[in-house]
Amino acid sequence: MIHYGLSQVLMSAALVALALIIGRWWKIPAGKEMLFGSVRAFIQLIAVGYALNYIFDLKSPWLVLVVIMIMITVGAGAASGRSKKLAGSFPITFAAIAAGSLITMGIMLVLNIISLEARYVIPLSGMIISNAMNAAALTMNRIVSDIGSNRLRIETALSLGKTWREASRPFMQDSAIAGMTSILNFLKTVGIVALPGAMTGMILAGASPLEAVLLQIIVAYMLLSSVTISTVISLELTVRRFFTPSHQLKILK
Amino acid sequence: MNPGRFILEARDLFRTVRDGDSEKAIIRGFSFNFERGEIYNIMGPSGSGKSSLLRMFNRLDEASDGQVLFEGAEYQSYHPCELRRRIGYMFQTPYLFPGSIRENLLYPDSGLSDTRLRELITGIKLDPNLLDTDTDNLSLGEKQRIALARLLAAGPSMVLLDEPTSALDPGNTLAIEELIRNIARRHELTVIMVTHNPEQAVRMGGEALLLYKGELAEWGGSDQVVNNPRTEIGRRYKEKDCG
Ligand SMILES: Nc1ncnc2c1ncn2[C@@H]1O[C@H](COP(=O)(O)OP(=O)(O)O)[C@@H](O)[C@H]1O
Ligand SMILES: [Mg+2]
Repeated sequence: MIHYGLSQVLMSAALVALALIIGRWWKIPAGKEMLFGSVRAFIQLIAVGYALNYIFDLKSPWLVLVVIMIMITVGAGAASGRSKKLAGSFPITFAAIAAGSLITMGIMLVLNIISLEARYVIPLSGMIISNAMNAAALTMNRIVSDIGSNRLRIETALSLGKTWREASRPFMQDSAIAGMTSILNFLKTVGIVALPGAMTGMILAGASPLEAVLLQIIVAYMLLSSVTISTVISLELTVRRFFTPSHQLKILK
Repeated sequence: MNPGRFILEARDLFRTVRDGDSEKAIIRGFSFNFERGEIYNIMGPSGSGKSSLLRMFNRLDEASDGQVLFEGAEYQSYHPCELRRRIGYMFQTPYLFPGSIRENLLYPDSGLSDTRLRELITGIKLDPNLLDTDTDNLSLGEKQRIALARLLAAGPSMVLLDEPTSALDPGNTLAIEELIRNIARRHELTVIMVTHNPEQAVRMGGEALLLYKGELAEWGGSDQVVNNPRTEIGRRYKEKDCG
């Protein structure tokens, strides 16, 4: 078993050098990004490593929860920043991501799938939150643009006596699929096209493939649950912004 | 049910919208009582507020001030969806849902009987055998008719039609006018129809209301308002002076 240390990492910098040489020879216009990106990844990951080392030592479940809430807030900010077409979307992305991750983690804790220890909860939350974040952003962008480009269709439905929910149902459904496409594709191809990073990591770290696979199945189910919840919540909250209580389509600028 | 003479009573209606940084009144103090079973033609230059008025009557838009009574009761006392089924609205460019004619006619009420469906489609002078045709392949005139039949499928007692012939050729225009008059008679409907064409108002008969800059400038029998306007604005409209 190889034990990974700084020396192996420094050796692997040879691969960066190889990539830089190829880039230069072939004139890929991204030489700086390749170099700085490699340095940046090094710094970020080392920093995260130290932070995780510290966080994993947290014994108080409340401190773990605080860390998770910070991660959710950052994820919500990123998702909201990616939904530029809807002003003031932070509360929506926050609610969606918080609900998706807290409910999913809560169920896993209750069912004793994981225990309330930072070394389980934090990395899994990270996966959940980044997937929920993508789902919320994609869903919101899709529903905002669909409603914007289908006003006549929606108002026609309303004018015939349909509720705002009935009038927007086709677009809500399409947007839900948009938010869930990547997790659905993941479920289809996992293990066949690529081994997820987490699984590769476990195997490299010495776990048996079967153990790694079992955990990966749990991760896949966990992501399906959180992405579904986040998608539905972000849709429900976003669509309401477009209608008045009297089932009128609002004019948003 | 209120057996009163008026099906719809508008009292001092206003609608203001944002216009950049300021507010702009697009309907100003509109008051009128609409009688049951009558045909009304709303006329006025482009931008005078005709469509805005119909949208408010279908409650797609909210009045900023004033009151509307339907069957003697305040608009707010009805569920908006219920109100819209009883006061149908047809957009100037009707939208048909993707799918067949049948799916469109069943859209307001999926429980519609086959007999009613056939009645509706023969009512708009289309062949019942076309029920399963995709709406993509229809002409503009046919689409307009189907939108009209779909409106009736909701069972309204009043319909609001926004320039229902503006996209049609003269032949189709006359046919749709005829259809609207027949349907109004057969279903005892009250019709409020926006028209940009004074001659159309005369052909439709009934009453005419002339809107100008959001205000009701003149009203009366259609022939009178079109041919013998009593107000300055009415005369200018006749001379095509304020469009
Ligand atoms: N939502 C809105 N926001 C701003 N202006 C509007 C809005 N709806 C209508 N208007 C304006 O109100 C006026 C009346 O419009 P409309 O009712 O469509 O007139 P018409 O149907 O008689 O041509 C127009 O000047 C139009 O630009
Ligand atoms: Mg108009």
